[in-house]
Amino acid sequence: MQISKLDQMFDVLATRPKKRMIAAWGVDSHTILAAYMAVEKELIEATLVGDEKKILSVCKEHNLDCSKFNIVHCPVDIKSASLAVEMINKGKGDFLMKGLISTDRYMKAILNKECGLMDPGAILSHVTVTESKHYHKLLIVGDVAIIPLPDLNQKIAITNYLIRTANLLGIENPKVGLLSASEQTLPKITSSADAAIIAKMAQRGQIKGAIVEGPLGLDMILDRESALIKGVDSPVCGDADCILFPNIESGNTFYKTIIKLAKSELGAIVMGARVPCVLTSRGDSECSKLYSIALAAMLA
Amino acid sequence: MITKLTELAEKAINSGKKTRIAVAVAEDNNTINAILKATNNGFVSPILIGNKDKITALLPADIDSNKLQIMNITDPAMAVKEAVRMVRNNEADVLMKGLVGTETFLKAVLDKEKGLLPPKAVMSYTCALEIPKYHKLLFVSDTAVLINPDLNQKIAMINYSVAMARKFGIEKPKVALISATEKVSPSMPETLEYSLLCKMAERGQIKNCLVDGPLDIFLACDPTSLSIKGIQSSLEGDADILIFPNLESANSFYKGLMLFGEGELAGLICGTTKPVIVMSRSESENSKYYCIALSCLMAEGK
Repeated sequence: MQISKLDQMFDVLATRPKKRMIAAWGVDSHTILAAYMAVEKELIEATLVGDEKKILSVCKEHNLDCSKFNIVHCPVDIKSASLAVEMINKGKGDFLMKGLISTDRYMKAILNKECGLMDPGAILSHVTVTESKHYHKLLIVGDVAIIPLPDLNQKIAITNYLIRTANLLGIENPKVGLLSASEQTLPKITSSADAAIIAKMAQRGQIKGAIVEGPLGLDMILDRESALIKGVDSPVCGDADCILFPNIESGNTFYKTIIKLAKSELGAIVMGARVPCVLTSRGDSECSKLYSIALAAMLA
Repeated sequence: MITKLTELAEKAINSGKKTRIAVAVAEDNNTINAILKATNNGFVSPILIGNKDKITALLPADIDSNKLQIMNITDPAMAVKEAVRMVRNNEADVLMKGLVGTETFLKAVLDKEKGLLPPKAVMSYTCALEIPKYHKLLFVSDTAVLINPDLNQKIAMINYSVAMARKFGIEKPKVALISATEKVSPSMPETLEYSLLCKMAERGQIKNCLVDGPLDIFLACDPTSLSIKGIQSSLEGDADILIFPNLESANSFYKGLMLFGEGELAGLICGTTKPVIVMSRSESENSKYYCIALSCLMAEGK
């Protein structure tokens, strides 16, 4: 099934064996409520790693049935992160979620060379799936949160993550737009030059399973008319599934703009580790948190 | 469309025009033979500049000296300057190098005030190769001038070669950007530049041609190799123009074909306001004649 709305993930997950989520330092109400919702909707099974007393008191406070969770007691935040990672590595969980622990410590546990979740040479990156009322399909974008200024190699990795995410959401041969300020190939503008290189690599089959076009301005990626006016006739224009952003500022501004001004929703995950990792922010809506968990379950 | 160098010469003969060629330091047997052949075939009116005594001594006894203009300037550097001046002042249509060092010759061509290169223009070299095993001419750049062309110089090489191919009647020449492989790899910097050049052509920033690369010679010129490897190329293994990443590769390619592949060529300096002929002495009599015919074709409309 091709997913074109985020809540369709729920329908798909309902038909599949449940994936097991491990929440690192899952002791706060935000994490526990999101996990609870996901369990209630029968999307996943959840294990909370953290201080049992805190977990139980949050459950009590919100009237949650704590027996819906598997609770692993660990009183120290940093240790609970490494314990959660260890459980993943031992096959006791299918994906990871960040709890109240700082992003720094969470990432450190993932990136740990000996007992983390990274394969040698793997690139950790952030993928966001957005749903906007003003666009006819989901938009999968990256990297809006982890790699500030990706080099060519990192951009290739991000492009592949976007494609894989699309594939796992049932979108075959996704259309990928490579963002720059304009469609002209301008050698002195890195985003433009890199886009031309990545587009050629896709043409040569070095990036597989997608139609890749760039450099393109955002208007041309999202609107076929704009592209045609400027003389670019590509199947990507106006029908893109994925957008590669050249830096964190542009990507971050894009997703925040459509969230705040265009009534969009999102789900986001970290890719590149052995399993998907959920990294929600406390500022995210309830919906977004649930979508992020569902997205990770889809990809796990 | 011209597909053979003999057709190029025929076209020059049939044009009914006489192109005025100023030969700098003309006292060179090879040069004079080639120029006389073109003169006798009626499409060139030569101005031989150099040591008049030496030039006269090289002319065959039966030559009609009315067909030739000879100017006596014995100092090679002065002879070159005079030849360049004549071309600049439209007293000649083409400049040709005779028995003078390339350095002295190019110095006069490149002179900022009195030379033949417009400001900021890139000077490059394109030659049209005729190879018995290929079904048409193959234009190759840069076999002689640019050692390690950067991106801008590569754009100029493409534009010059496209302009030349179009003069041969090829409306939308197919330009192959040559490397050792068709894959794009940061460890081969030219493959990154090629990606940009392809996209520039796609976006209309480079006009009048189809561009694809990186491609190796097989994929550029042999459809069978393309289908064996399962690679899609807009050129379909039917390239008209090969752009090489550097002088060594381009130079070796054409010399290899001259030596082992029974190739003939016609080559020209590009980027100057009027055509400039610089030939290596080791080139065949025929190739030299074709260079002159090519300069006549390219001088049209300049």
